[in-house]
Amino acid sequence: MAKTFTLNLVTPEKQLLDNLPVESVVLPALSGEMGVLAGHIPMVVQLELGSLRYKTANGKEEEFAVMGGFAEILHETVEVFAEGADLAGEIDEEEEKQKIKRAKESLSRKDADIDFELAELEIKQALARMKVKKHHLG
Amino acid sequence: MESLRDIRQNIKAIKSTQQIMQTMKMISSARIRKAQQAMDNARPFATKMLEMVADLKQEVLAMPLPQDEKESWASRFLLNKTADPHKIGLVVITGDKGLAGSFNAVVLRAAVAFLKKNQDKEVFVFCIGKKGRDFISRFRKKNIQIVYSSVGIFPKVNYAHAELLGEAILKEYFERHLSCVTLIYNDFKSMGVQRLVEVNMLPFSALPAVQAKKDNTEFLFDPGVKEIFNILVPRLMKANMYRILLESQAANLAATMNAMDAASKNAGELVESLGVKLNKVRQAGITNEILDIVNGAEALNN
Repeated sequence: MAKTFTLNLVTPEKQLLDNLPVESVVLPALSGEMGVLAGHIPMVVQLELGSLRYKTANGKEEEFAVMGGFAEILHETVEVFAEGADLAGEIDEEEEKQKIKRAKESLSRKDADIDFELAELEIKQALARMKVKKHHLG
Repeated sequence: MESLRDIRQNIKAIKSTQQIMQTMKMISSARIRKAQQAMDNARPFATKMLEMVADLKQEVLAMPLPQDEKESWASRFLLNKTADPHKIGLVVITGDKGLAGSFNAVVLRAAVAFLKKNQDKEVFVFCIGKKGRDFISRFRKKNIQIVYSSVGIFPKVNYAHAELLGEAILKEYFERHLSCVTLIYNDFKSMGVQRLVEVNMLPFSALPAVQAKKDNTEFLFDPGVKEIFNILVPRLMKANMYRILLESQAANLAATMNAMDAASKNAGELVESLGVKLNKVRQAGITNEILDIVNGAEALNN
């Protein structure tokens, strides 16, 4: 069995994973996806919107859609600080589509004082979540 | 002597006030569970973030940078040697409403003491909560200036509020060259106890030391240490502010609950003693009437 290390996933709202023993983690780093195994050199990476995958010590694979943030990699542990994170299995595509639709509508209404950046961010996040969901299924 | 009617009215008024207080207590206790949960959920992010910065601190300070960059904001965030010692920041977090016992008074008293201590300095104040803002804005002193205020965010604090506050604090800190930023708020200790906290939030070295998880390991950075720090610092700030706002919110609700509980108990006692008084007055009235009748009968007999 491969050597394991622990994975923490926290968002400002919630701690999603607490010292979970895992075999490997794939992080959505800014410069491309990055795999981490036990004993990785200490590193700090910035994350972008994308998918975080890991394989637990007992061989189960899980996937999260993370909304950017960063990760601190130490020899024995990986800490992921995400702006937001959703378990891939729990993402509802219909809901995401609705979100995109709403954001686009508010973008097309030019008169109101809408926060364009926020609406755009929302679209980006919803798209990222949907992508992770599709990947997860396929 | 009060008339029966007065006393009855009094009892009615107190009872209806008591009802309001009981309702307020129930509202608070319903909200507090949610607030407490949000607080517990937010704690790991903020504390882990502090640990991470503690890990990186040495590294960043030891970075070979040109002299002018050494005074860049990363090192100012961490050590802040170049700041103006006559300018400081103060963040005051109170509730929007009273009716919470000494919750607001404790914070404001500490704020006044702080302002007195720093009379010779320019103080830039960030106010969260209506009570604090109204109180501070009554100070008509040249050296006290409110630069940011936010009211009506309780009891529905979310991350967006923390983002706005965190950004405002960092902006003032760097643009005005504040030498430190102090925070005064109520910490949620337990349902029954709120604790006043006065803590220096910036620069980072003023924070209570956090144990670094590792020592003497060199970090790699992707993309670069500067880029990482550029996003890490605001995020740390916001995560911390978020945690503190949630603590304060839970503490406020707990204080309201306790105050309302005590008040409705007092009201109950008041109603009881008024009831006794009512009976006495009524009895005295009846005795008087009997006396009148007896006297009248006596007079007729004679």
